[in-house]
Amino acid sequence: MNRIAQGLTLVLLGAAALTSTVATDLYLNWVKPGFGPFLVAAGVVMVLLGVLVIVAELRGEGKEASGGDTAEEPSSESHHEHGHGGHDHSRAPRVAWLLLLPVIAVFVVAPPALGAYTVENTAAASPPPPEQRGSVRFDDGIAEAEPGEVVEMDVRQFVMRAWLDEERLLAGQEVELTGFAVPDPEGEGWFLARLQMSCCAADAIVNKVHITNRPAPETDSWWTVRGTWIEPEGEISHVSQHEFEVLEMREVSDTPDPYEW
Amino acid sequence: MSDRTTPAAVPDPAVPHSLGDTLAGGWHDRGDDLPPEDWGRRGGSRRTGTVWLFALFITAMALGHAWVTDRLTSEAFLAWATIFTAISFQALPFLVFGVALSAALTAFVPTSVYQRLIPSRPGRAVPVAGASGALLPGCECASVPIAGSLIKGGVAPAAALTFLLAAPAINPIVMIATAVAFAGQPEMVLARFVASLLTAVVVGWVWVRFGRADWLRLPAPTHAPGESRWTVFRESMLHDMMHAGGYLVVGGLAAATINVMVPREWLVTVAGLPVVSVLVLAVLAILLSICSEADAFVAVSFTDFSPTAKLAFMVIGPMVDLKLVAMQAGMFGWRFVVRFAPLCLLVGLLSTFLIGGIVL
Repeated sequence: MNRIAQGLTLVLLGAAALTSTVATDLYLNWVKPGFGPFLVAAGVVMVLLGVLVIVAELRGEGKEASGGDTAEEPSSESHHEHGHGGHDHSRAPRVAWLLLLPVIAVFVVAPPALGAYTVENTAAASPPPPEQRGSVRFDDGIAEAEPGEVVEMDVRQFVMRAWLDEERLLAGQEVELTGFAVPDPEGEGWFLARLQMSCCAADAIVNKVHITNRPAPETDSWWTVRGTWIEPEGEISHVSQHEFEVLEMREVSDTPDPYEW
Repeated sequence: MSDRTTPAAVPDPAVPHSLGDTLAGGWHDRGDDLPPEDWGRRGGSRRTGTVWLFALFITAMALGHAWVTDRLTSEAFLAWATIFTAISFQALPFLVFGVALSAALTAFVPTSVYQRLIPSRPGRAVPVAGASGALLPGCECASVPIAGSLIKGGVAPAAALTFLLAAPAINPIVMIATAVAFAGQPEMVLARFVASLLTAVVVGWVWVRFGRADWLRLPAPTHAPGESRWTVFRESMLHDMMHAGGYLVVGGLAAATINVMVPREWLVTVAGLPVVSVLVLAVLAILLSICSEADAFVAVSFTDFSPTAKLAFMVIGPMVDLKLVAMQAGMFGWRFVVRFAPLCLLVGLLSTFLIGGIVL
């Protein structure tokens, strides 16, 4: 990989980072919204560095800096270039070409947010281990709700309540959840699911509620459902899935940020 | 252009009759004798070729955007692409700023500063080098050349190696990244810091006691003297970016593939076994070769594994992995690596079990 190629690769990679943050909202499919500014800054730095390298090379400075050798390296192994005379800055190992893959990913594939496929192929989140149960703080509005008020919750908050709240404040409380539809492969009904990420899509955790009193809508379509928790018999921490009774559901036209966190 | 280097240009006193003839003859002869006659042009045409290649690539991407994007409907592929892109873009800011900082230190902090700070007695230098690893931001790719220049600068090899192990594992950027990834689990940050520092220092002491100088092949100078500092900065950043970035993508590809392809039941089964799960994630860390600034985000995604197994992933990863072994072999030679890498792995695992048992 010669210096022009390295510079152009950096410019393209920076452009991909900037395109997915500034020009579009694509980055929300992959990482938390808080990472936007960092991605913008990284993109700017990469474009600048790439342009500087190209300019320096065109002016011939690169030869001074690198011993004038812009030939293709004889081997793809990076240790070869380290082995002979320490650093030769003019070349990069062939593995550096792979930096173009994220560029292709952004501009050609434009990966969507994870959805029903991931939910179906991921083991459902398991209840938190016993030692964490005592110290849970709920961040939803259930405790402050007026009688008869419909509380809007994240699917994550709902699942946490359903699993951990020994006082069962959720019982009889009307709540509103938003998520996408996932068919239940093992029986009747369907899931309203939402993915929770702590950092990026690679660590997404599935939260879902099971619905049986309405026919399953199209997979991956987004819905807001109003209804109540079906209180399980026995220990709440032993249930494997949370049943939900729908009173009313409407399709979401303007899909929100696909993830919860 | 200099005539001194070319034999053909040495004037034959017998032939020329005038200065003009000498020059003319010299010019003429040289045209045939000098192999790099089109020296400048060839470089230029390669540049032009590269530019054309990228123009073609961008055009192909534009066509792909128009024709392919909407036809990609395989859900498995899209999920894979999403996770790959997520890992790459998650790590990118950390990589860019880590590389920038390490380039700044390479360019603006002379090695004499490190020499002054690190004691000359190896046994005492090792813990100091380990602790100073906490000060230098940068991923492992940056620390390999720095360790080489430390040894050249007169720092005891064992101390430089401790620094090599500690710097990528416990520096502030890595600690912040770990804290962000394991939000709400500060004990994981603590465990990573202690276990990594312990490993680095113990390996250093073992090297003081048993290491031999002839196992190490000393590296050649890193950059020509007299370069402007900004040039050093730019070149160092480009170099680290290309090396670390390329291997980061490899790690992202492997992690995404494992994430999507490996059956969940299999990982869950393995994850349930106490010692085996730790070893499995240690092996994964070696294979994935993820930059230390990004590995916490990958570690946290192994949701089914125990905290100690995740700790092993983060302790072993920055010290032993395929990419690092290749880089160390290039810098110090294979005789060194075949002893150093297994030693790090062993000490790293022991310290993971110890610290994981106490803290997690």
